[in-house]
Amino acid sequence: MASDQEKRIGLLLVDDEAEFRTPLAKRLDRRGFDVRQAESGLQAIEALKSQQADVVLMDVNMPGMNGLQVLDEIKHRWPKTEVIMLTGQACVQDGVTGIKSGAFDYLTKPIEMEHLIGKLKQAVEMRKLLNDQEMEAEFRREMERRMSVAERLAALGTMASGVAHEINNPLAIINEATGFLKGRLDRSEDVPEGFRQSAELALGKIASSVERASRITHQLLDFARKNDWEIQEFDLVELAKEVVDLTSKTAKEENAEVEVLHRDRKLAIWSDPYQMRQVLINLVTNAIQAVGEKKGGNVWVDTEISGNDVVVTIKDTGPGIPRENLSRIFDPFFSTKPAGKGTGLGLSVTKGIVEKLGGTMTVDSRLGYGAVFRMVLPRKPLVSPVRPDLGPDL
Amino acid sequence: MVKIPINILVIDDESDFVDMLGMRLTDEGNNVRSALDGRSGLAILAEGWDADVVILDIKMPGMDGIEVLKEIKAKYPIVEVILLTGHGTIDTAVSGLKLGAFDYLLKPAQHEELLVKLEEARKRKAEHEERIRKAEAHALIRRTGGM
Repeated sequence: MASDQEKRIGLLLVDDEAEFRTPLAKRLDRRGFDVRQAESGLQAIEALKSQQADVVLMDVNMPGMNGLQVLDEIKHRWPKTEVIMLTGQACVQDGVTGIKSGAFDYLTKPIEMEHLIGKLKQAVEMRKLLNDQEMEAEFRREMERRMSVAERLAALGTMASGVAHEINNPLAIINEATGFLKGRLDRSEDVPEGFRQSAELALGKIASSVERASRITHQLLDFARKNDWEIQEFDLVELAKEVVDLTSKTAKEENAEVEVLHRDRKLAIWSDPYQMRQVLINLVTNAIQAVGEKKGGNVWVDTEISGNDVVVTIKDTGPGIPRENLSRIFDPFFSTKPAGKGTGLGLSVTKGIVEKLGGTMTVDSRLGYGAVFRMVLPRKPLVSPVRPDLGPDL
Repeated sequence: MVKIPINILVIDDESDFVDMLGMRLTDEGNNVRSALDGRSGLAILAEGWDADVVILDIKMPGMDGIEVLKEIKAKYPIVEVILLTGHGTIDTAVSGLKLGAFDYLLKPAQHEELLVKLEEARKRKAEHEERIRKAEAHALIRRTGGM
């Protein structure tokens, strides 16, 4: 009985002599091959168009397109299909030509059945081997590409942060010099009004340009950090408490009472503590500012385990988010803060980080009833250090 | 209300920055001294200049800002330190704050924000001094009362 392995071998038998072709097809069928027949080269090509075959067994001498021409056509259209040529004793030269054109082998009629089956299996094996080699080569190319993207991202990150740092220093000098001149101008009484106006305008432009450049350097630093993944085990509750400490000054200014619920619990998670801290700082600061809009209130940070996930919620008693903004709140550059107060990148960047850590982020809010930001994070995320599919194409 | 002058020591290896920030803060009614490295900064404190606040850069040749911060906090615990750096990472911020820095700002800082922090730092130092004075007075009263 034929094994499943043999059953799967799709064979196209091409020969113009039905009295040779049909019995051979029957015998091969009995030996477990999935045999289709074609009586001419054209028919063979049509058959392959509708369904490809693993191997083609084809007579050289056929009226119309001869076997060698069909072989060229098959190798051109379906290079992965193996072809075995059949020739008469007197036409060995045809077989040699066939091999040169890419045929797997040639057999002379009359055919010895076991020999034929051995050759067919060899052809399929060879195809499988070539496929494996191709896949391995493709895999290696992909790994090399990823490595090179990773290296380039790392180099770019290092360069970005270096550039950002080096630019921040001269920016700070320009900033202070401008402020100094502005201060002097404000205090001088004997300055002609026309000059004062244009000088103020010019100094204002310098100051706003410094601000613009520093926004860029800070984004570069964020970018450099974003490519630095470090997955380790840490206590999420401890991190939440640290974030509440770090934001305590803002909380005081906005009259917000920030509390970590279940603060005595230990909640170990495998993730990137630095990215998580950034996420929590962003969300807690947003919540504090929302509460500030109502002249004060509460912010609660809570953590809980849910199966293989950790759910983190940040809830505030701020003014809430209008329904029409809920779906846009994570869009880049969407901001309801007054111009200059926020770039609008905060929540989109935050959500991006959470997603890269393998989590999801949602928001729920009713106008007048505060807002709840909810993150679901795997306790052990599958994060590769390189995500070229998410990063820029370098 | 008249602004109380703040004694500010600026330690930063960027001399142009030190000059401009110093001139600006002086114009705004403060007493400013400056140093281009950690050792010279510590020398100014060691000679007895009564600094309220030190504005301290982190990345400097020789002694870095974190080492300077540790030494200031060990020798002059009530002097407040504001870290101001172009080389900011959240880690240096956190370790700086844990070592007792009053606050942390990234260059180029908003001057208004810096002024607010300087004033808060001055107040905190003044409160510390007040407490120490009261404690000393209390100890003195106890001593003289016991005589």
